[in-house]
Amino acid sequence: MTSPSSTDPFPPPIPVDTHPRRASGSKSPEFERSLPDPNRLAPEDAYFAPSLSRVRSAPVNYGESLQSLNGDSGAHIGSAAALRKRVGGAGRRRRRKGAWKKLLWVKQSYPDNYTDTETFLDHLQRNPRVRPYDFWPLVADSTVIVQHVCSVVIFVCCFIGIVQDRVSPVSIVCWGSVGTAVGWILWDNWIWKEHADSVQDRNGITGGDDNSSSDSFASAINTPANISQSDDSKSSAIHGLGLSIAGNESKENLACRSANFSESIDAVADLTAQSAVPSALGSSMGSMDASVSPNTHRISMLSPRNRQRLTTVKSAFLIYFSLLGLSPILKSLTKSTASDSIWAMSCWLLIMNIFSFDYGSGEGAGATTKFPASLSTNAAVMASTVLASRLPSTTHVFSLMLFSMEVFGLFPIFRRQLRQKSWTGHILLTLALVIIAGGAVGVTLSGGWAAAIIGSVLGSILTAFVMGGCSWWLISLQKYKNVVIGPWDPARPIIRRHWN
Amino acid sequence: MPYNIAMVSDFFFPQSGGIESHIYQLSSKLIDRGHKVIVITHAYKGRTGVRYLTNGLKIYHVPFFVIYRETTFPTVFSFFPIFRNIVIREGIEIVHGHASLSSFCGEAILHARTMGLRTVFTDHSLFGFADAASILTNKLLKFTLSDVDHAICVSHTCKENTVLRASLDPLMVSVIPNAVVAENFCPLSHTTRAPDQPLGSPHDAPMSPRQIGPDDPITIVVISRLFYNKGTDLLIAAIPRILASNPNTRFIIAGSGPKAIDLEQMLERNVLQDKVELLGSVRHEEVRDVMVRGDIYLHPSLTEAFGTVIVEAASCGLYVVCTRVGGIPEVLPQHMTTFAKPEEDDIVLATSKAIAALRSNKVRTDRFHDQVKMMYSWRDVAARTERVYEGITGDISPEEFYGYYPGQGWEASGDRVRSFALIDRLKRYYGCGVWAGKLFCLCVVIDFLIYVFLEMWFPRANIDIARSWPKKQPASNSRDATKSFR
Repeated sequence: MTSPSSTDPFPPPIPVDTHPRRASGSKSPEFERSLPDPNRLAPEDAYFAPSLSRVRSAPVNYGESLQSLNGDSGAHIGSAAALRKRVGGAGRRRRRKGAWKKLLWVKQSYPDNYTDTETFLDHLQRNPRVRPYDFWPLVADSTVIVQHVCSVVIFVCCFIGIVQDRVSPVSIVCWGSVGTAVGWILWDNWIWKEHADSVQDRNGITGGDDNSSSDSFASAINTPANISQSDDSKSSAIHGLGLSIAGNESKENLACRSANFSESIDAVADLTAQSAVPSALGSSMGSMDASVSPNTHRISMLSPRNRQRLTTVKSAFLIYFSLLGLSPILKSLTKSTASDSIWAMSCWLLIMNIFSFDYGSGEGAGATTKFPASLSTNAAVMASTVLASRLPSTTHVFSLMLFSMEVFGLFPIFRRQLRQKSWTGHILLTLALVIIAGGAVGVTLSGGWAAAIIGSVLGSILTAFVMGGCSWWLISLQKYKNVVIGPWDPARPIIRRHWN
Repeated sequence: MPYNIAMVSDFFFPQSGGIESHIYQLSSKLIDRGHKVIVITHAYKGRTGVRYLTNGLKIYHVPFFVIYRETTFPTVFSFFPIFRNIVIREGIEIVHGHASLSSFCGEAILHARTMGLRTVFTDHSLFGFADAASILTNKLLKFTLSDVDHAICVSHTCKENTVLRASLDPLMVSVIPNAVVAENFCPLSHTTRAPDQPLGSPHDAPMSPRQIGPDDPITIVVISRLFYNKGTDLLIAAIPRILASNPNTRFIIAGSGPKAIDLEQMLERNVLQDKVELLGSVRHEEVRDVMVRGDIYLHPSLTEAFGTVIVEAASCGLYVVCTRVGGIPEVLPQHMTTFAKPEEDDIVLATSKAIAALRSNKVRTDRFHDQVKMMYSWRDVAARTERVYEGITGDISPEEFYGYYPGQGWEASGDRVRSFALIDRLKRYYGCGVWAGKLFCLCVVIDFLIYVFLEMWFPRANIDIARSWPKKQPASNSRDATKSFR
């Protein structure tokens, strides 16, 4: 196939550029796609003009570019839309013998392989749903990932410190518990403040008091995973716990749920039950749902709060001691497995945790995640269980398990809530985590305060570069995005599920 | 001049379906026009060896390993020896493959090009570009069609899709629609008329159209396999609302599939068993008997290359309500159809409008049969396919076939008439992709070497030439339809 010379004032009748060899002619492939359809976003928008204003003003530019098309300089532009205009003359000449129609039932005086330059590939849309990324929002969004990776790094460093006897496990767990307690107090305040705000436009408050004592075990397993799943099972499909308060009909469940949740925040030890008895998770889901939904009776504001706090503390201690009791079993659970296998397994489990973690903000994004959020938490807890068998004493095991509960079970909830409440706090927490993780890596590698500082600085710089680099990379990859949509694609049926 | 044509596809009788009947009808009409046609397909259960169908259509059932839904395992080369044998025995000049999912067809086109034969490919289906399966299929299609002489698509939408998928020159793709055997899809009240009587003229309808009163029952027919992409979800959602808003309406649904359970559940939940009749799957011969029981044909498909069934329904005198997807908008004229968006609300609305139009007797459904008969016939399809054969064999000049536009700096370029030189073929395959191009070239070279080997070890002289089926004289006016295109 000869490629039509691009300077020819009268191009061939069918210059629609779908042919690879023709495309590889005189036109440079970069510019070939520079004017697909002015009404649609093209990936070029991502790096040429990030604002949407280009789309609005496109028709003006379009005319100009068409003029340049007819001149010599516009030879690059080879998209179907542009060429259709360009060969309008040929089409008009043909109209004399009766316009060609895109119909099969009419006998037309055109040969079967006639290709109408004006309507051919008329309905083709390229990248109709591409949303160009901006650099800084992308970097800001990546902080969520950085936070989680940093907390995993911190956990691993703590484990190495415990194994190498550099750090006392009790001190780690103490610091962790203090942090968790502070986090819970903050979280509790936010929740109840919002609750108080929302209570005005509501008649009845639902208290979970009748069930809450029996709920203690269920609430112990209120990982974010479970809660978000139970949320998903409702029609409101809100993700993450704190957000369910953000103002819709699920407010009724609020008191009860927040109560359950505050229990679980306090009862850090509760979560160990999950690691020891993973199957309890499924069964507890049911009881959780039961406790959330049906309780609807009027109760005063302050009383359930304190009562639930009391129950939380009670169940916290219950689970705390049961974890203490389980520690010897956990210690010897995978003792017979070779260390190599343990390292490899825990590595994979932590990687699984990072990749399947639900980084969504919680605003209805839950439906988009492919994995159940519990997968991530379970993988992390299993990793720490497996690692615990390499520790010398029961105290060590207990401390590590408790710490992993705090880091993997409760900390993500706090982070998600913090991000909703205050962006500054979120950034500060990210910075702190990056610095601590860098320092922890530094200490683990060579030890000493100097190493910690160097590690922090290096880690911060490295993280900043990685965040910026990956964001830039993603944006630059956008130009390779080429989604072709046309009438041949199966239509997406729009159905209202009214009869359910 | 008559050609010896081999139709190659995985899909042929005894399996029944759109592609199968397309091949059969096209072949028999081509035989009527004086050509010699054979069909090569894989062996079906209880159907092996060589068979003859009506009109002397010869079928080769090649024993082959079938993997999925009657598609053979793609082995690229293993089909070559027996294919070469058949082609030489029958003196084949043109190999015509059908259906992009058929690996038989793809391999046959490759081998035929290696052997220096002209090839045509007919695409019957639409594919997207997004999912992994489509990407793989599209690569294979590109491999198949890189060297094909001409492609035929069943609708203009299908042509656009094929041109994009296989990066073809649009002038090398013809649009030749499917057709229906109108005699098999007559409305109940249809009287056979004398052949010399002009068809479709308004005064020749002997009977007055059936008047539908405002309270007469209206029956809506749905005949489709109950799959997701046939829009069964839309159907399930729309049926209760249509029945609720239109009294004296009932449904007849024929077909089976994975969505049948959902349909039955909907009927039970809404207690509509007395208004909706489920027939299960019906054979193609019985489709007409089901259709003539209704007044409206509802076709909620989500993707469709041509939609033969709506033509059949219109031929039976049914008013058609269908979704505006794929090639469907091209198929029937406005007065026979009501189009809907593939949305539940719109389908309910369109069906209600259609019911209202029928009740007010605005639609002359009694004329549909004769009109459809004028629009689509296999005789016409065969004549148009014959023109493609003439174009690729050079019996009509490339200028005429591909269009000649003097003064526009445009000539029929040499590459449209595909040369058989190995180096030219390799050039065409090499452009298919960075890695795929090299892989395809490797395949072509190996195929060529196998051909050389076969020529040495099984020389042509040792292959018997099969005797052709004794033919009646070709119809005298066989070329007239072709002339009309020029």
